[in-house]
Amino acid sequence: MYKTVEDYLADLKQELAGSDQATIQDALSDAEEHLRMAVASLREDKPDLAEETALQTAIDQYGSPAETAAAYAEVERRTAPGLSSGVNRKSRSFLGRFFGVYADPRAWGAILYMLIALVTGILYFTWAVTGLLFSVSFSIFIFGLPFALLFLLSVRGLALLEGRIVEALLGVRMPRRPLFGHPGMKWFERLKLLVTDKNSWLAILYMLLQMPLGTLYFSLLTTLFVFSLSLIATPVIQVVLKIPTVTIGYTGYFLPLWALVLIALGGILVATLTMHLARGIGWLHGRYAKAMLVTE
Amino acid sequence: MYWTGFSCRKGCLVVDQTALTKKLQKEMNSGIASLVLLSVLGQAKEPMYGYQIAKLLDDNSESAPLMKQGALYPVLRSLESSGLLESRVEPSVSGPPRRYYTITAAGRETLEVWTEVWNQTKSFVENILKGTGNV
Repeated sequence: MYKTVEDYLADLKQELAGSDQATIQDALSDAEEHLRMAVASLREDKPDLAEETALQTAIDQYGSPAETAAAYAEVERRTAPGLSSGVNRKSRSFLGRFFGVYADPRAWGAILYMLIALVTGILYFTWAVTGLLFSVSFSIFIFGLPFALLFLLSVRGLALLEGRIVEALLGVRMPRRPLFGHPGMKWFERLKLLVTDKNSWLAILYMLLQMPLGTLYFSLLTTLFVFSLSLIATPVIQVVLKIPTVTIGYTGYFLPLWALVLIALGGILVATLTMHLARGIGWLHGRYAKAMLVTE
Repeated sequence: MYWTGFSCRKGCLVVDQTALTKKLQKEMNSGIASLVLLSVLGQAKEPMYGYQIAKLLDDNSESAPLMKQGALYPVLRSLESSGLLESRVEPSVSGPPRRYYTITAAGRETLEVWTEVWNQTKSFVENILKGTGNV
């Protein structure tokens, strides 16, 4: 299957995509060292063995790229918690921690999530309301039941999708595949589980609530950022564009320089606080999404 | 009790025995591998590199090996980052450089504790499996 060690390493690298950079380095160098040693030693025992065959035997014993990647991921998961790796919190001062939020991927992920939530929130809400209304009104027809079941199934699918978004942006582990049912279960049992599982209904509730929440997140974020940006821009407007900062009636007032500096600093403070707020909301929303969408 | 192919009426789960066995094996291995590797290096007179250790484990297992050789390396790395092992890379005459592992003083102390834990666990599990406990 693999002709050279390099082919194996390329596959292994692909399987490890998304892992910590250091882990990838370790895994590749370990695999290279081992496979080359194994091939050399196998061919030493049997000199007429083809290199490809020897490599195949070595890989059989070493494990496929997927297996090897899984072993590294497992150890990495057990030893280092995902997003907090690499940041040494204890050794940093208060100011460092306060402004360190700009370097925190969780804060940026949360901001992106809060922006996206407006769009997904509207989509989820529309889908849920339409599905519910049609299910209710179709219930007088013979195809009402299949329609309702289909709708519930689509809700589970959307819940899974939302889970992927939440995991990617908020760093909360969410299921990677539909968890309802077990292999070998009859389809009738599956459907029954679909209806009786409280998470199907919680997912609908989540979809409905996502619109007000998404709107709130979006407006909160844009308001605060626009406010902070306008504060930061004040000195530029007065000093460069010569436009008075304060206008009362027909009289414009220019503020002294120290006040401008204070206002700009205030803007930076508001922006940083907004980053912290976003990180906090992201954390809360991650917990909430997990509670609503994940079947225990 | 028949795990495979027993008739399944209302509400029961079909048990996928091979998957469950694999899962059990994996869960047990995650602890055992650390102990085994620490013990191998504790007995070693010279620093050892990964392939050597894998070979030694293979020679010592009567049936198919418990885990793939590739799964040993991340455990070695993790033992090193916990300070139980230390390693150095040395160039080899043929092929890529090799990483040689040695046990640290902390590793030896930990190995003693772990061996004790293992003995206790082993006798406990054996007692339960034999049914010799006071049930």
